[in-house]
Amino acid sequence: MAVAAPGQLNIEESPPSWGSRSVDCFEKLEQIGEGTYGQVFMAREIRSSEIVALKKIRMDNEKEGFPITAIREIKILKKLQHENVIKLKEIVTSPGPETVEQRKEEGNKYKGSIYMVFEYMDHDLTGLADRPGLRFTIPQIKCYMKQLLTGLHYCHVNQVLHRDIKGSNLLIDNEGRLKLADFGLARSFSNDHVGNLTNRVITLWYRPPELLLGATKYGPAVDMWSVGCIFGELLFGKPILTGKNEPEQLNKIFELCGSPDEVNWPGVSKIPWYNNFKPTRPMKRRIREVFRHFDRHALDLLDRMLTLDPAQRITAKDALDAEYFWTDPLPCDPKSLPKYESSHEFQTKKKRQQQRQNEEAAKRQKLANPLPHSRLPPIQHPGQSHPSQWSGPNHPVNHSQPALPSGPGHHHYGKPRGPPGGPNRYPPSGTQGTNYNPNHGGGATQVRGYAGGPYPTQGRPPAYGGSSMPPGPAGGPGAPGGYGGPSNFPQSNQYGGSTTNRSLNQLANNRNQQYGWQQ
Amino acid sequence: MAANFWTSTHYKQLLDPEDVDVVHPPDRERGITVEDFKLIKMQMVTYIWKLAQHVKVRQRVIATAVTYMRRVYTRKSMSEYDPRLVAPACLYLAAKAEESTVQAKALVFYIKKIYADEKYRYDMKDILEMEMKILEALNYYLVVFHPYRSLTHLLQDAGMEDMTQFTWGLVNDTYKMDLILVHPPHLIALACIYIASVYKDRDTTSWFEELRVDMNVVKNIAVEILDFYENHRSITEERVTAAFSKLALKA
Repeated sequence: MAVAAPGQLNIEESPPSWGSRSVDCFEKLEQIGEGTYGQVFMAREIRSSEIVALKKIRMDNEKEGFPITAIREIKILKKLQHENVIKLKEIVTSPGPETVEQRKEEGNKYKGSIYMVFEYMDHDLTGLADRPGLRFTIPQIKCYMKQLLTGLHYCHVNQVLHRDIKGSNLLIDNEGRLKLADFGLARSFSNDHVGNLTNRVITLWYRPPELLLGATKYGPAVDMWSVGCIFGELLFGKPILTGKNEPEQLNKIFELCGSPDEVNWPGVSKIPWYNNFKPTRPMKRRIREVFRHFDRHALDLLDRMLTLDPAQRITAKDALDAEYFWTDPLPCDPKSLPKYESSHEFQTKKKRQQQRQNEEAAKRQKLANPLPHSRLPPIQHPGQSHPSQWSGPNHPVNHSQPALPSGPGHHHYGKPRGPPGGPNRYPPSGTQGTNYNPNHGGGATQVRGYAGGPYPTQGRPPAYGGSSMPPGPAGGPGAPGGYGGPSNFPQSNQYGGSTTNRSLNQLANNRNQQYGWQQ
Repeated sequence: MAANFWTSTHYKQLLDPEDVDVVHPPDRERGITVEDFKLIKMQMVTYIWKLAQHVKVRQRVIATAVTYMRRVYTRKSMSEYDPRLVAPACLYLAAKAEESTVQAKALVFYIKKIYADEKYRYDMKDILEMEMKILEALNYYLVVFHPYRSLTHLLQDAGMEDMTQFTWGLVNDTYKMDLILVHPPHLIALACIYIASVYKDRDTTSWFEELRVDMNVVKNIAVEILDFYENHRSITEERVTAAFSKLALKA
């Protein structure tokens, strides 16, 4: 294009592709989540009727302008293009508080709002796992894990650390595709610029020991720890490491993975807070004991993910090569997965909150308790090294996939079949409903409730306590005992009250605490 | 910043030189010529540089800020977007994007220190507002690749590590031009190495031959850089002042 002669225009206006569209192009439908720094809405693009997710960027720091977290997320998302990474479609702005409601809502703080427009995904992993009665099958878990690792491997190759891997940030659509989302805490790392990074990242339950010990130089291994926690959670049926504060989280890690020392983790004693937090007595690694009912290959993989020393922890690439993904039952094709009605942790939480309120009301009226919610772990082979535990007959198969030749079918979708474990899987019903939310009173009874049961139920009211259920094979002799009864977790007393952790209020607090950091 | 340049938005957005040297209509109405346009941008590079030295940020941040500023003016006029505000706002945004956050307050403080001129006087609110406008003008594309990284690798490969400082300086000077908007960074790095080897009489012919790059492109970039050095001598204080007086924004 030649420069026009004086008086003539080169271009009438800036090319139309520049600048951003207005949020008015979308019709907000409902709130579906709370991102790291703003609300997330489901919305419809008016022109195309396409459903999208709008993530509002909160602009509450008037002193430092556009949040650096948003800058990071935008930069990173524009860089990452992968089928297992959420796609940022565009960024739209709202012109400003022109309407009265808007002005009220914004408090006139900033002239306009900014939204990131994402492809819409029907579920997040936590929301899906929390659906009453839903139980993942082994091929399904393998399928999700494989996608999670593929997406993460892509991030790591592109030198991006996600730094907030957890179930609610793993979105799943009705085609069974899993995508990493919420890069609000993500950072680029480069091998030639070794800056210090903050250790105040990753939601507590998924935070690796090196961060809890105060390390400020770290790498992709931090995400792999989180993946290990999720993997364990998928197989176990509930979160596996649920500290309510940082020291307790570390303690739980040590109790499961053994205490760190210079032998199993060279250099650990030089990490800033090692001396403050090192356990008083050596503890032995008991992953293989606690989770002995897991399939052998699953256990091998979990063991390598939950390795204390980040340098020895398995990488995403190596994890994808693990036997687990290449032995029967193989990961299923995402498309073969069942379609579920939309669920996000935010919504399921809201629903459960509602349910709890109903329960409370019901209790007050001395009516029968409705069945509260709990997750079901998958039905799985115990490790082949413990064949004696697998004594049950084939259980009824209820699935849409061909049965796999390796053994009895162990996947069935949907309908509640009762928990797989024996009655001792869950604490007695005495503590039901009282331990979920501190605002609902209770919690004091938790110590007893926990000691009586195997693992804590992390704020999900224990279900089906003591009720009768069809004796599935997984509930047969041996298997449920493997969850680690009181004898496996002698520390139960100190966990009193830990189950309040998942309440919305506290989550919000955690967020503020974590995300106020700028580095 | 890492990732692959060829898949980046930076690569996809490389422009033709003809599209970079476009004086926007509102500016043209004020009599601003392409030469004035270039001069003002160059002056703003110096401004960003000075300011960056006070707030102590890495070279990368300066380079990114300059690139943002140059990208903004491929789409916006100087009449609407006062360079004296765009420059510090670009530095402010680049510092965030390159993970070396600088406080807006600090910028305002040093601006006052560097320039007594009223026309440079902007406060925090102005910078923050301009930051948003810049983000939008950039369409939120914030990733920039620079020649520095490839420069280090290339010099190593060519066994010319002793020339690092000299070539680094050449690369710095290229930001006084719009090269970063037009050419892939590694080619800019190569052009600087080429100039350095000619200048210091090093025989790099065989090394360049082994690289699978179009030497014509490299040589053309080198010529552009040399032309710039040639022209730079004729730039006088008066010419700069004259260009700015045409803008006469904060009258």
